[in-house]
Amino acid sequence: MLTRRLFMRNSALSSSLLVVPEWARSALSQQRKVSSNPLRLAILGSTYRLGSHMQTIADRFLIGYPFDGDWHIPNIKVVSMYVDEHARRVDAGPNPFLLSMSGQRRSNPAAAWPEGDLSQARAKQFGFRLCNDFPEALRVGDDRLAVDAVLTIIEQCDPYPYQTNDRGQLLLPRFDFFEQCTQVFETEKKAVPYFNHKQLSYSFAEGRTMVETAERLKMPLMSGSSLPVTWRLPAVDIPHGAAVSEAVMVGVGHRDDTDFDALEAMQSMLERRKGGETGVKAVQMLEGDDVWAASRAGRWSKDLLSSALSRSDTTMGLTVLDGRNQDLVQDHLLEQLVKDPAAYCIEYTDGTRATLLMLDGAVQDFNISVRLCDQKLVSTQFLLPFPPNEASSCCLVSKLEDLYETRTAPSPVHRALLATGMLEACFKSRQHFGERIETPHLNIRYQAPAESQFIQI
Amino acid sequence: MAPNATPAKRPRLAAVVTAIKRHLHPQHIVDRFLDGYGWNGVYHHPQMDLVSLYVDQHGEGDLTHERAARHPSLKICPTIEEAVTLGTSKLAVDGVVVVAEHGVYPLSPDGIMMRPHYEFFEKITNVFRSSGRSVPYFNDKELSWNWDWSKKMVDVTHELNFPFQGGSSLAVTWRIPSVEFPTGVVVKEALSVGYGPMASYDFHGLETIQCMVERRKGGESGVEWVQTFRKDAFWKAYEDKVWSHELMRAALSRSFTIRPGDKSFTNDLPTVEHMKAMVPDPVAYHYRHRDGLLSTMILLYGMVYDFTFAAHIEGQSKPFSTQMYLPMPDGRTTLASFFSPLVNNAEKMFLTGKAQYPVERTLLTSGLLIAGVQSDKNNARIETPNLAAVQYQPYPDSTYWRS
Repeated sequence: MLTRRLFMRNSALSSSLLVVPEWARSALSQQRKVSSNPLRLAILGSTYRLGSHMQTIADRFLIGYPFDGDWHIPNIKVVSMYVDEHARRVDAGPNPFLLSMSGQRRSNPAAAWPEGDLSQARAKQFGFRLCNDFPEALRVGDDRLAVDAVLTIIEQCDPYPYQTNDRGQLLLPRFDFFEQCTQVFETEKKAVPYFNHKQLSYSFAEGRTMVETAERLKMPLMSGSSLPVTWRLPAVDIPHGAAVSEAVMVGVGHRDDTDFDALEAMQSMLERRKGGETGVKAVQMLEGDDVWAASRAGRWSKDLLSSALSRSDTTMGLTVLDGRNQDLVQDHLLEQLVKDPAAYCIEYTDGTRATLLMLDGAVQDFNISVRLCDQKLVSTQFLLPFPPNEASSCCLVSKLEDLYETRTAPSPVHRALLATGMLEACFKSRQHFGERIETPHLNIRYQAPAESQFIQI
Repeated sequence: MAPNATPAKRPRLAAVVTAIKRHLHPQHIVDRFLDGYGWNGVYHHPQMDLVSLYVDQHGEGDLTHERAARHPSLKICPTIEEAVTLGTSKLAVDGVVVVAEHGVYPLSPDGIMMRPHYEFFEKITNVFRSSGRSVPYFNDKELSWNWDWSKKMVDVTHELNFPFQGGSSLAVTWRIPSVEFPTGVVVKEALSVGYGPMASYDFHGLETIQCMVERRKGGESGVEWVQTFRKDAFWKAYEDKVWSHELMRAALSRSFTIRPGDKSFTNDLPTVEHMKAMVPDPVAYHYRHRDGLLSTMILLYGMVYDFTFAAHIEGQSKPFSTQMYLPMPDGRTTLASFFSPLVNNAEKMFLTGKAQYPVERTLLTSGLLIAGVQSDKNNARIETPNLAAVQYQPYPDSTYWRS
């Protein structure tokens, strides 16, 4: 008998072939031979619109992605999806019980799908189940856990936004997603690999609970952004075990958004230093003129800043006007170009100093320079190729495949936990007008894998 | 004073260019000598001085005088002779930087812009001859729109015995992944996928292929024939598998800029129908080297905005592939940093007196461009005995950007 699920599975196979052109089929058929038993993936996210993180990442599991010189089709089948924007809109609508009691007609649930949402079209094309809650997504409508892996991508959804707190942190429900999933895992006495996009939570305490829960449930947990794993120009890392004295990272973008990515990318290099990661003892977040005052006072090394900026392909100001190259640390150019600077000053327990400078207006890319104790500098750009392709997310998705297939996180989740804590502490400092904040709770110790985890193929 | 300047004798350079305006090649190259650029993780100032500048065309947007005002030691010269003699009767510089890309010049009967690479070369080498002395010579992009002149330029470099290097930044820019083509391997087929119009960006695609395949077993053996496929003939050749679909897929899989075929996705692999809709004027220069290697330079303008390379290497189960990364100042970046390795390799030539890569590469690619355009005009394969004679060995050291 052709059940609905069987039909959907078959139609998914044929319709997914429709988006892979004939000239790529030869590779696809090779993939199919080894994919007789694909891993079953649940995707849980905020909003599935064109250009969202969820769309950029989730689609790669549906139609494959360019990687290592081929159009790579993951041996993974998306079986269910939960979209929070839809669920929240349904929840915000009239209660169906009250509607029926008052004699009104129930509204059409399809109408709750916002315009521009891709969920229904994708579900139809690729034959996965759209779910109204987490248990349904993890059990795929059955009564037992029916997925082998979970992907969560929780982001701001502008048409139906999440709130911010009084520190300016966006209250994205990453912890809630995690908690609801782990409740199912606890009930089932089985946990599957789980990826959380970007920081664990806006709250370090919640993030720590997530890590502890994952350890208790023996659940492979990975968290982070594309920045630590994308290609680097040049393709370099800190030698594993090298003594490090200071790092300066330059980034751009919004507060409580790309600053996390920058802190995490910086951490992905610094965690390789001699002695491994031993935690952060204090942070301070400076903004506005305080940044320039701290710069003049030598709070971070000018040569490291110049070195990081030398890796940029996007100096602004006169470069935009007439194409010239500029050494931005000279002649107070940064002060002229950057209207809203921020410095995230990180003091590690072992004495290593690191500073993230968010310099919108001066550059448009992410670059770092690290001074080793032998005075040698290691500097590079974390490459973020442009939309629509956003090729850096291919690097992340390849790491997710590793997580799901090996049930082992390719990079330590403690990196994301520490970066989560650094960011929260920086926002506390900001709330206290740039006061230095001691962070005894960030005494996080871990060892980085000896092999660099950024993509070099 | 430049932070990394040393009191040692610094070479003095003359620049001879078409026009200096924002984002023209002369601006990118001359500015790097004048203002420095990021290199090896520091802000680098070349250990040499650009002392004279000849600009062939001025007009709206001209930056010559702004640059001269900021760099008083730079002398603006009304003639090429004065730029290289500094107003004396003899050659008075230690190196010459020629950038004859851009500017506006008449088209040849075949539709190639007749940029003055050769005219500049002739005037400069006349001074070399009359001075009884020659100095290293950098020539951006192709040699000349005219094959005989291209060949003559190389012959004169041998006759007067001076280091000469040029070509496209594609050969020296970052590669993603950062890989070098193995030396001494047998290569059956190679291709590049790029963008832009014929008689311009085709040169970049040709250099993309040549800087790699010249490292194969035996070195470069020369090219026997060239056939151009365009528009409908391109799609027919594609469907006939004149070039490998597997290689094309490998190259496209290295691209960061594939325009989505299905508008509801952001990174898909376009179907042939999508490609036809996106690319109104597809171009392929398909050519056979004397040792049997088949190369194809493809331009898919409208579908991709980068240059990628793939090749079948004997004994390897999957294609070798990479992207020659161009951080273009078309909104993606501001700096056109791929000029940095081009200038840095030129600096090395000026400091060491040795060319960093073979000029025969650029002779071959200059000839391939001319032949490709000719084949398109004739609508037929053309035999290329002139290119069959361009045989050379690669230089052992890698010169692409990786530090």
